[in-house]
Amino acid sequence: MKRLLLVFIVVFSVYSINIFAGGFQQNQHGARAKALGGAFTALANDPSAIYWNGAGLTQLSGTKLMLGTHLLFPASSFRGVAPSKQYSFMESQMFTPTHLFASHNFDNGLAIGLGFTQPYGSGTKWSEDWIGRYITTETKLQTFILMPTIAYELFDGFSLSAAFIYSFANVLIERMIPQSPFEGDAKISLEGDDSFAYGYNFGLLYKPTEWLSIGGSFRSEVEYGFEGTATTTGAAQLIDRFPKGDISANLTTPMNIVGGLAVNVTDELILSADYQWVGWSSYDVLAVDFADENFPDASSPRDYKDSYIVRFGAQYDMLDEFSVLGGIYYDNMPVETERLNPSLPDANRLGFSMGFIARLTENVSVTGAFMYLRGEQTTVTDSKENYFPVTGGFVPFNGTYNSTAKILSMSLQYDF
Amino acid sequence: MKKTIFIIFLAVLTFLVLSGCEDRSDITGIDPILNGKSGNADLTRFVVIGNSLTAGYQSGALYESAQIYSYGNLIAKQVNTKFQMPIISDPGTPGRMEIQSLTASGPVIVNNPNSGSPINLLYPAPYNNLGVPGSLIYDVLFATNANNCASALFANTPNSFFDIVLRNQGATQLTQLQQALAQQPTFVILWTGNNDVLAYATGGGVSPAAPTDATTFSQLFGGIGQQLAQSGAQVIVANIPSVTSIPFLTTVGPALATNPLLVWWQISLSQTASGLPATGLIYMSHEGGTNLGILPYNVGFADSASLRNSTTIVTLRGSAYAQLLGQPTGKYYRDFNLTIPLGVDTTKPFGFHPQNPFPDIFVLDPDEINTAQSTVTNYNNAIQSVASTFNFGLVDVNTLFTNIRQADFTGGYKVDGLTFSTAFITGGLFSLDGVHPTSQGHAIVANEFIKVINAKYNANIPTINVATIPPSLKFTGTAGKLSLYPHVSPEAFDRLFF
Repeated sequence: MKRLLLVFIVVFSVYSINIFAGGFQQNQHGARAKALGGAFTALANDPSAIYWNGAGLTQLSGTKLMLGTHLLFPASSFRGVAPSKQYSFMESQMFTPTHLFASHNFDNGLAIGLGFTQPYGSGTKWSEDWIGRYITTETKLQTFILMPTIAYELFDGFSLSAAFIYSFANVLIERMIPQSPFEGDAKISLEGDDSFAYGYNFGLLYKPTEWLSIGGSFRSEVEYGFEGTATTTGAAQLIDRFPKGDISANLTTPMNIVGGLAVNVTDELILSADYQWVGWSSYDVLAVDFADENFPDASSPRDYKDSYIVRFGAQYDMLDEFSVLGGIYYDNMPVETERLNPSLPDANRLGFSMGFIARLTENVSVTGAFMYLRGEQTTVTDSKENYFPVTGGFVPFNGTYNSTAKILSMSLQYDF
Repeated sequence: MKKTIFIIFLAVLTFLVLSGCEDRSDITGIDPILNGKSGNADLTRFVVIGNSLTAGYQSGALYESAQIYSYGNLIAKQVNTKFQMPIISDPGTPGRMEIQSLTASGPVIVNNPNSGSPINLLYPAPYNNLGVPGSLIYDVLFATNANNCASALFANTPNSFFDIVLRNQGATQLTQLQQALAQQPTFVILWTGNNDVLAYATGGGVSPAAPTDATTFSQLFGGIGQQLAQSGAQVIVANIPSVTSIPFLTTVGPALATNPLLVWWQISLSQTASGLPATGLIYMSHEGGTNLGILPYNVGFADSASLRNSTTIVTLRGSAYAQLLGQPTGKYYRDFNLTIPLGVDTTKPFGFHPQNPFPDIFVLDPDEINTAQSTVTNYNNAIQSVASTFNFGLVDVNTLFTNIRQADFTGGYKVDGLTFSTAFITGGLFSLDGVHPTSQGHAIVANEFIKVINAKYNANIPTINVATIPPSLKFTGTAGKLSLYPHVSPEAFDRLFF
């Protein structure tokens, strides 16, 4: 009980000093991990371990299948451009990152798994007449990964895993272009996809005693080379001058290194904590190359810096068939305010989650989770984003961002 | 025990979730809202008096989507005061100019064949915006309807904008000035006199044949000033920007001079061979020019350098005819229903031969340019003198425009991230008629007024972020054809008021 109180004191102090974090990176890969605020690396005790920490597969017996989805509702507002305090709201959208994991234990220390999930699967959409329309109207990034994983228990309580990541992805970037000095805006739409990118994962799980486990996970960068087309719609009189045609763009998703700890406080209560380092500095520039030399290549510096996420989770087994879970996580904003951009209104973010695990039958269990994410209100006064990109000019996109997200998760697990 | 822990756990989590939802949107507060007043400036009853510039006329027409960006309305919005205008629905009256196509060789501009109609005629008081397109300084004091304005009396051209704006009916006939004073204004902006010299310049120095006399101007302006001063209102006056640097006058000449299809040295050689005293564009001249002895009219000569430097000016209205240079044509006389003058032979190369000279009405020669410029200086001296006599604020639009014009040669005039120049169409400052500002041009002017109001009346009215004003040059929906110059149909200017 005292240990439990300690957790909440930590929670409150985290909240009160007003720190709240980033990117399109999703961490929705199974409802249980979600319910624990993502503090799952040292637990990794369901098939979603394939994503979180493959070494956990050696703990699972027999053959298991897990299928689930998340309903993600992001919301953002922007007030500005300073000195104006006019409100703009991001259009509401729902994203449904979905996952499927299968695991099998050969009972000789060797376990294998196959996972399919979406590490990035979100987007932003603003109206076509909002104040920041020359920066963005719609951005969407979806990456899908297929991960064949192999795990091996080297000695009692110590397992390692390795996985190959095959990924395919698509991206959409839309914004308006002023037709100045002519009235009206044109709309440019960049769409691209990459059908083959790859990476790899390593995992480690160590249980020195009955009540403690230590986990580690390494997820590599994945380099995407998007190929696609640019289309522009605008005044017929200007249409020849708008950029269009084949484009290519490179994007590297960051490396992740995670360390985690889980403690069985009592027979019924497990506490877990994760520290995740995210190598966001891979995202230094967003460059789009036009195949047609008549159109200048577009390059916008993003200057992301490495960041981290801290996660705490608790699981309490009320009954043999029913557990409740709670979690909290803090995600540090990986971008300097001067590059903060409504295409991805990042913030220091604090997430609260709660959920349950119900074992319905001998073979079937269901996990549900709800997470609320609050982004710290972020006011930009030193923006290097130009919201009226007419040659020779610069108007900083200063203003105040607020963002929240609600995530509903549901996973179904079947034990063969 | 278990249940207790569970309940505490849930309760605390719920609290955290709910407190996370709290809307903290009022952290930075909102701007104090002005109610027509700021510092000592009182714009609660605000009136602007003037001509097309004040009316918000753009691209040869008066229409709603331009009127709402007239500088008066922009100022009124900044101080949150009432501002009623004689709104005319798009595409305005007459149908505004629109760009049909932009080709490598030049834009094609046509008039919108439709026209709008007044939609605020029943407003039961004089308008706050008393800008009447085409109004001269005489009209501010004396005109009350289409038939007693200066253009009707002296050029037999009634100007229906007086009826649209002033709406005088029956025995009560009030002028622009009287309608302003009838509102017991707390604040008046007066910007008039532009047309008294502009029409002379845009008409090639022919029609009208002279600007309003500077002494007359001075007396009339003083008369208006006195009445405004007696009303007790706060008054700001604006002076007249240079008329010879507007795209209407600076576009065609340089385009001719640099047109690769016109080989000026060859033209010059053949003219020299004919024994002419000078070479280049040959135009009819009613005042200066040379009498060649054999022709019953004088002609002037403008070589390519003087066209390029705008020391001789070809007006935008002449652009359609500038494309016919060198051809044996009398199209100008046919189009304008004119008898071919004695001595003119339309089988000679148009504009290059003394017997088929370029029309006087499209050319502002060096003498006429001088007249226009010195007139502006005289008017501005009169305006300044009246302003200081009555302690009016003075907005120096002339200097503003001179600065913008000078910035043309140093990369453009930069404001709020935008770059402007006085170039036709591409400059972003002038609408398609080459005379009237775009919506963003109005915002730049409005900011000059706001700065003067703030300085003179110790006020703190926020200036307008020009980048928030949408660009206002309109396209048509139809495809165009090739053209070497801004191809503006001559009729487009027939009903153009300034």
